[in-house]
Formats: sequence, C-alpha cells, structure tokens
Amino acid sequence: MTQPLLSVEHLAVHFAGRGRLFSPDPPPVKAVNDVSFTIDSQRTFGLVGESGSGKSTVARAILQLVDIHDGSIHLDGDDVTRVARSAELGFRKRVQAVLQDPFSSLNQVHTTETIIGDPITRHLAIKAGDERRERVADLLDLVGLGHEFLDRYPYEMSGGQRQRISIARALAVEPDLVIADEATSALDVSIQSQVINLLREIQRERDVAFLFIAHDLEVVSHMSHDVGVMYLGYLVERGPSDDVYAQPTHPYTEMLIASIPFPEPGEQAKRRGLRQTFKVAEPPSPANLPPGCPFENRCPVAMDICREEMPAVTQAHHGGEARCHLHTSGPELGGGSVVEFIRSEARGNVGV
Amino acid sequence: MTGNSNEPLEDADLPAGTDELLEDVGHIPTPSGLSANKTDSPRRRFWRRMFKNPLGVFSMLWFLILLVAWVWPELLATHDPFKQDLTFTRLYEGPSSDHWLGTDERGRDFYSRVIHGAGFAFRSILIAMTIAVGVGVPLGMFSGWRGGRLDRAIMWVNDVFFSLPIILLAMAVIIILSPSLDNAMIGVGIAMSTRFTRLTRAVTLQEKEELYVDAARISGLSTPTVLARYIAPNLLSSLIVQAAIISGAIILIGATLSFLGIGASLDDPDWGVMLNRGRNIFRTEGIWQIVPPGAALILTVLAFNLLGDAIRDAIGRDASNNALTISKRVDIAPSDRPHRPGALLSVRTIDVEFPSPGKEPVQILNGVSLGVLPGKTLGIVGESGSGKSMTVLSALGLTPAPGRLTRGSVQFDERDVTSLSESEWQEIRGKDIGVIFQEPIAVLNPAIKVGKQLMEPLLLHTELSKAEARQRAVELLAEVKVPDPERRMDQYPHEFSGGMAQRVGIAMALACSPKLLIADEPTTALDVTVQGQILDLLMDLQKERGTSIILITHDLGVIAEVADRVIVMYAGQVVEGGLADDIFGRPRHPYTKALLDTMPQNHHGGEGDDLAVIPGVVPAPTDWPVGCRFAPRCQYATDRCREEMPVLEVLSDGVIVRCHHHEELSGEAYAGRGEVSL
Ligand SMILES: Nc1ncnc2c1ncn2[C@@H]1O[C@H](COP(=O)(O)OP(=O)(O)OP(=O)(O)O)[C@@H](O)[C@H]1O
Ligand code: SF4
Ligand code: SF4
Ligand SMILES: [Mg+2]
Repeated sequence: MTQPLLSVEHLAVHFAGRGRLFSPDPPPVKAVNDVSFTIDSQRTFGLVGESGSGKSTVARAILQLVDIHDGSIHLDGDDVTRVARSAELGFRKRVQAVLQDPFSSLNQVHTTETIIGDPITRHLAIKAGDERRERVADLLDLVGLGHEFLDRYPYEMSGGQRQRISIARALAVEPDLVIADEATSALDVSIQSQVINLLREIQRERDVAFLFIAHDLEVVSHMSHDVGVMYLGYLVERGPSDDVYAQPTHPYTEMLIASIPFPEPGEQAKRRGLRQTFKVAEPPSPANLPPGCPFENRCPVAMDICREEMPAVTQAHHGGEARCHLHTSGPELGGGSVVEFIRSEARGNVGV
Repeated sequence: MTGNSNEPLEDADLPAGTDELLEDVGHIPTPSGLSANKTDSPRRRFWRRMFKNPLGVFSMLWFLILLVAWVWPELLATHDPFKQDLTFTRLYEGPSSDHWLGTDERGRDFYSRVIHGAGFAFRSILIAMTIAVGVGVPLGMFSGWRGGRLDRAIMWVNDVFFSLPIILLAMAVIIILSPSLDNAMIGVGIAMSTRFTRLTRAVTLQEKEELYVDAARISGLSTPTVLARYIAPNLLSSLIVQAAIISGAIILIGATLSFLGIGASLDDPDWGVMLNRGRNIFRTEGIWQIVPPGAALILTVLAFNLLGDAIRDAIGRDASNNALTISKRVDIAPSDRPHRPGALLSVRTIDVEFPSPGKEPVQILNGVSLGVLPGKTLGIVGESGSGKSMTVLSALGLTPAPGRLTRGSVQFDERDVTSLSESEWQEIRGKDIGVIFQEPIAVLNPAIKVGKQLMEPLLLHTELSKAEARQRAVELLAEVKVPDPERRMDQYPHEFSGGMAQRVGIAMALACSPKLLIADEPTTALDVTVQGQILDLLMDLQKERGTSIILITHDLGVIAEVADRVIVMYAGQVVEGGLADDIFGRPRHPYTKALLDTMPQNHHGGEGDDLAVIPGVVPAPTDWPVGCRFAPRCQYATDRCREEMPVLEVLSDGVIVRCHHHEELSGEAYAGRGEVSL
C-alpha cells in the first residue's frame, strides 16, 4: 500500500484549565481523544460533528496551533508532530488552511495583493513586485475573481468574495494539503454551492488533498471521499462517505442523518419520526467525561455496559471503523449498520 | 403540510386579489451595509472625523503651537529666556509691549520662558514614553502571546509595580542615580510601562484568538513577524489613545516633581519650577507669576486628554449603526389591496426606504404582503439581504431607524395597526406577540438567574403575584421540556447549553400566551441534532395552544419541516408564495427552483458531479435592476425580463409568482433544465 499523505494517530489534545498563579488547576478540557485517520493525496477527508465536538481542535493540532497531549502526526511518512522538526520539512508550505469566518480570517489592514502575496514571498522567495502581482492575479483567476480585487481591502468585499481570497491564499504556495474548517458555513445558500464547486474543481485541476470540516453532514459527504464523525472529542465513526451516509454503523451518525432538514415536506415528516426516538439531554462536559460511552444519555439503544465502559474501536462493514458497544456486546451488530436495528428498537419503544 | 394534511386548504377558496396573502418578510439588510461608503478608507475616515470634532481641532492646534515652541522656540519667543536684567525696576514687571507677560524675579522675559517650557515638557514625555512603550509593549506582547504560568507571573509582578505610587518610583531612581528631571522621568517611564504592559497584553490575548492570526501562522510567518505585522497594527490605535492620555499625566508629574524641587533645576524655564517660584512669592508680588505657566500646563494636559478622546471617537466604529432604534412614523400611503379575511396578521404591499445622504432614498422593501392564519405557520425564506427580518419588523412597528415605512397597511387581530404609536404597539407586542431570536444566549442577561428573567414579563403584563409568577415560570420551563425545571430556575444562563437556552427563549416568548410567535432564524445557531428537537417543540406547542407562527429562515429544509405556507423573498420583493407542498413539489419561480437545486440534499448526480449553482451574488439594494431583480442571475432571462419588472400573479391553485415566464417554465419544462428555449 502506498504511503498516506497525512496520517493522524491516536491524537489527543487537552486544554489545561486556567487557575490562579498559586492555586491548583481545574481539570483539563479533553477536547480531542484518541483520534486516528489518514488522508491520501488528492483525496478529501471530511470531519463532521456538532459544535464543541473537537473538529477545529483536530485541525489546529495538525496545523500546530495548539499543543498535542498525545499521539502523532505524519506527513508523507515524516513525523511532523513537533514544530522544530517540521520546520525542516517545509511543513508550513505544504499544509495550508481556509478558515471559517470570512470576516475575521483576513487582516483588515492589508490589500488582497499583500494577503495572498505574503506567503508567496515567504515560501517561494518572490519579492513584492510585478512577478508576484502577476502570480496573485493568476490565483484570482483560479478562484473566479476579477483583477480589480488586487487592490481591494477585505472590508470592500462580500463574504463569498472574501472566502475566495482565503482559498487563493491557501493555494498560493502550492500546498499538498488544504484544511478547510467550516469554510462554507457562514455563506449564503447560493454562494455556498459556488464555493463547494470551486474547491472540487481545484482538486481536479491541482494536486491537492483536503481535510474538509463542517457541521453539516450533507455538505461534508458531498465534498468528501471519506468522512469521520466526531462526538465529544472522539471519532465515533469513520468510513467511505457514501456508505456512512447510507448505512451508518453508529447511533450518533444515524441521529445526525435523521436531523438534517430535507427540503421536501413528505420526506421530512418521515425523518421527523425517526429523529424523535433520540432523547433530549445535555451532552456531558468535555472537562468531565463519563467513564462509559459519551453518547449514552442521548442514545435510544444504550445498554448497561455503555454506562460503565468506553467502547473500543471496531472494524465496520463499510471498511471503516465505529466506536460503539453494539458491535461487540448485546445484539452484536459486528460492524453492520445500525439503521434497521435502531428503527426496529424505536418501533418497539414508541409502539409505532 | 405535516399535521394538517387532512384539513381543507384554507386558501384555495379565497378570492383572487387576496393574492399576496402570503407575502414576504426578509432579512435585515444591515444599515451599515446600506450606508457604508465603500471608497472611504479607514485612514481618510479617521482624519475626516478628527477635523469634524471641535475638541479634536482645538487640541491639534494647541499641539501645533507647542511643537513649534519646542522645535524652534526662537520663532515664538521674543527674548532669551536666560538673559537676566537685574535692574531693580525690571524685576517682577507687569505685562508691557516689550515683555508681553512681564518679567520674573531676575528680570527675565516671562513670555519667552513659558515658551521654552514647552521644550522641557516634551523632553520629559520623550524620555518617559520611550521607556514606558519600549518596556511595556514588548513585555505585554510576549506575556499575552506566551500565556501560561509565565504570563501569570509577569502580570503579578506588573501589578505590584502598577500599584506603587508613580512619584515614589521616580524618587527611587533619583536616589539611585542623581537628582535631575531626566532621571526622575526614567522612574516615571518604568511606572507608566505597567499601563502599557496591561493594555498590550489584553489586546494580544484577544487578537491571538482571531482567525487571521491563525491564518498568518499557518502561512508560516515567524512569531516576531506575526506580532509585528498582524498584532501591532491592531494594537496601534489603542496605544495611541493610551499614550495621549498618559502624556498628559507625565507632564503633570514632571511639574509636580519640579514643584517639589526634585525635578528641573531652579534656573530652567520649566513650568513646574516657575509655578514653585510663583508660589513662594505670591504673598508679596501677587498671583500673576502663577498664571502663565499654570495655564500652559493645564491647557496642555487638557489637550492631551481631549486628543485621546478625539482619536478614540475617530477610530471607533459607528456604534449607532448597530443599535436598533425605531424610526419615527411618517405619512404612510395606504395599500389598495383588501386585507385577508380571517387572518391574524395581514400585511399589504408595504414599502420601506432608507435615506441615503445626498441621493434618492433606497427602497429595501417593495410591495411586500403577507398573511398569517390563526394556528398556522408561515415560513419566510430568502438569502441574507432579501428583506425577511425587515418585513416582519416593519409590520410590527419596529422599522429600524433611519428606515421608514412609506406605503402599505397592516392589520393585526382585526385591527388596523399601520400607524399605531410606539406605546400602543408596546402593549400589543408584549402581550400578543412573542419573539424568539437567533442567539438565545444573547437575549438572556448573564448576571440574572434564568427563573427571575422568566418571571419578568409575567409580572409586567399579567396580574400574577410573585409566588404565582414563579409557579407559572416553572410550568413554562416544564412545557418547553427543560429537564428538572425547579432546579434550573435558580441557575444562570451560562449553565445552559445553546439548545436549552433556546428552550428558555421560547418559554419567555410564550410567557404571556401570545397569539403570534415570531421566530427569526431560531435554530441557525444550534446544532443540527438540537435544531430538530427545537422545531418539534415549536410544532407541539402550536398544536396545544393554537398559536400562529412566522418562521424566518434561510434554510428551505427547516421551512419544509414546519411551515404550512411559504413565501420566498428575493431583493426586497416576494417572488413566490403558496402552500409548502406546492412550493416544494412544483416551484414556479426560477429563483425558488434554483435555490432548491443548489442544496446538496437535492443533488442527484454522481461523485464527480458539481452542485447546481446560482451564478453571481445577491445585489445590494442600491444596485437592484430595473426589470426583474433576479434577471442577472436567471438562466431563463429574456430582454423583457431585463426591462420590465414582473408583477405578482395569482395562479389558479392559489400560488403567487413574480415572473414573466412562469407559464412556459412550469411543469415539464423544468424537468429537463436547460432544454427550455425562450
Ligand atoms: N483554547 C482553548 N482553551 C480551552 N478550551 C478550548 C480551547 N479551544 C477549544 N476548547 C474546547 O475544546 C472543545 C472542542 O472545541 P472545538 O473548537 O475543537 O470544537 P468544534 O467541533 O470545532 O466546534 P464548532 O463546530 O463550534 O466549531 C470544546 O469543549 C471547546 O470549548
Ligand atoms: S456505546 Fe452504547 S450508548 Fe454508546 S452509542 Fe453505542 S449503544 Fe449507544
Ligand atoms: S422574470 Fe425573467 S429573469 Fe425574472 S425570474 Fe422570470 S424568467 Fe427569470
Ligand atoms: Mg470549529
């Protein structure tokens, strides 16, 4: 098998609580726990999950913006977990990012030419001047913006235009991997589809892999070859996106799918019934995780063992993995889909 | 739709002409977006504001004079400030044509000495400020950027120095080195650096969380470069303001030290020294010797503070743009359309305009009508800037200033409410209309227990006693399915997750049993799994209480879930409306159709296929086309579309649509997109 472009192994990120100078620290927030996945070159891996599930923290750990508690990150087989080592390997040139908020991810005091030109100067050693300006103009072509944008400031652009500038900046140094964290979430529906298509077109034309992060499973599975579903810092399911969508192997994934509002009243009424089998409850705090499955208090099919033991990662039929006791205890799905099981359970419970 | 499929279609039998029953509501186009003068750079705006502020102009003028006095005192001074004339009659002379402010005890020209005093003042500022900024800013940046225990340790030491009296530090330095104003200023600089450390650290802590700083780090810039190029420019404005105010303080401290005799030497033309001498002799020679240096000192300190304020105001964003102030009512041309019979809320052809300086007012709503039946849900959908929220706000007498409702009629509960006064509106809104907002947490006061906030509207709008109100609040929490409501009453908002806070928001909106509930993007800020539960709750409550709901959202999926009727808005107009099943099953307007097609849920292609897109962007209100507003983005647009604005037509099945070509486009034609040739 060939080497994956990016490989994340048993990644854990904990944020220390903020105590006073001379007092003991409160327990750490366990934002990411034991997360593993790989991304092959020119492929897209999608990461989905609700707010606070740790998606951004995974991205920030890969980008070396936060300290890693445990685990390792390899780029093309080279260990880039530590900043010092990664500097030699040109990590900063090879991994770029497009961030969520098009209004705050661009510095308001610089023009487009500087925003996109800065990384070009740094990584490709092209000083400010005609050559660099030309390169920036080419990048604007690539993201579908006119050259009049060269001298504009971010506050003179719409959200969609700013996001295109962010994409051009990420691509400026010809990276191998672009991490897009909620890159389309803040955009209007009609603009969101434009940006998604743009990203896909860029992947076809340029040799680049994506880590695509969003809270919308529909968007993520459309963008990605493989997806990972996160809940409270754990990767609860991972697999090929079409299969995960059609045959989820974790109850939380099923809940996510059932919750996506569908723009068709009849279909939506069906989903509504399914959605209502899940319990209304507050998820536990990441600073105080229960000993068992973190989804236990919302799961319609939780068993006794779920309260006591953290489920281990099991092989799933779709070739990926799931982290749920159902596959090894109780009804023993053995990696199969939870869909039929949950629906039949739900019928039993609700008496439908 | 869901839940009422077996009821008769309540609109089908309405006479045509009540067409737009449904009409529209849209997003608030941000007032700043309307008024923003895009060619005005921040720098030009800064100077424009500085020169518009009289106090700013005064302080700038005063500094211009001082600057000349400092750099080139001979230009202003009439005499050598040190030249003595010990002729007895020339001492303590009053003002004359030769000595404009008279002379001092050695016959030196007083005016020239005051002028030269500016140099001493500025020299003090220069020394103290160099140290204060040179130490404080890097230390604050380092501390804030680094974080952790080292940061806490640095700030602890900083706070200790911060709390020491400034004069004490100045004296300590004088004792270690030697008494002179310059040495004293070194001590003042150290003391003042603690102010800059605090400020810089606070800004750095905040900026470091900004996405563009992440972006800069990702692009590989080294930490010092990020600090210098990204954090520093954003720090600059607060630093300048702080520096101006601290400069004033430094002059005052310098004068105090000189006054106490431990600053400038006794011969120097320093304002503090002059004051000190004036004080010594004012019993014998009168008060005059104190006036000129005192006035110079006070004016300068004042000017520094005014300058700081002026800069702060000139940098600040227009806070007024964000505040929701309700505009005054003006003459409103009535609508020529009859109200919808039986509707709880009926809005007829309303226009809303915003003034634009020096130009024609900009119309942001154009002939919007809608109707909500009792116990039913109207969904209003559109992209940002389409006018969804503005429609609802204007209908309820809340047109945000400086916008104005210029045409249309509104009927609520059988009563014409178009031109009610604000106090009359308040009564209706508080009792009969409940509002649910997008950010539930933002609506709750973080410092007050949730239960207390829930009891407030009950105490205000009903006759309930305190105990009864509490009982009612607990019931409300239970009704919106907040687990363990008794305990939750005594918790603060931060102890609620987003979904639970939104349940509280709904409980508050329901507190006085309103007839109409307005939900403006109620689930947009929530997770998708929680969104479904909140929508379920809204529908259950509606079934139990018979409340009417207006749901504003950009998400067609949410509309499909809960709305009986739907209005689609684009660029300040209703473009299509009808029963949800009709709109989703057979959209007639190209925009509705295109919106549905762009959703990944409706993407039926394979792996490699792109999503359908709507090219271009929603135009700003100032750029709305004369013909069909959707024409520049519509794949079916013809010349007629570009020239003539289509009107809202009522179709036989009760659907309303604003498109010249809906007939040719409806039915089969849509099935194969692109096959239609017009
Ligand atoms: N700098 C930080 N200090 C302390 N806790 C943090 C920090 N950054 C994130 N967290 C916590 O870590 C957890 C995971 O956060 P993260 O931002 O990764 O979630 P997310 O899945 O990206 O959510 P969203 O969808 O809202 O972007 C959360 O509980 C969050 O509060
Ligand atoms: S481990 Fe148990 S509680 Fe967790 S998702 Fe699986 S069945 Fe539900
Ligand atoms: S009127 Fe013309 S441009 Fe407007 S929506 Fe209809 S076909 Fe398109
Ligand atoms: Mg995030």
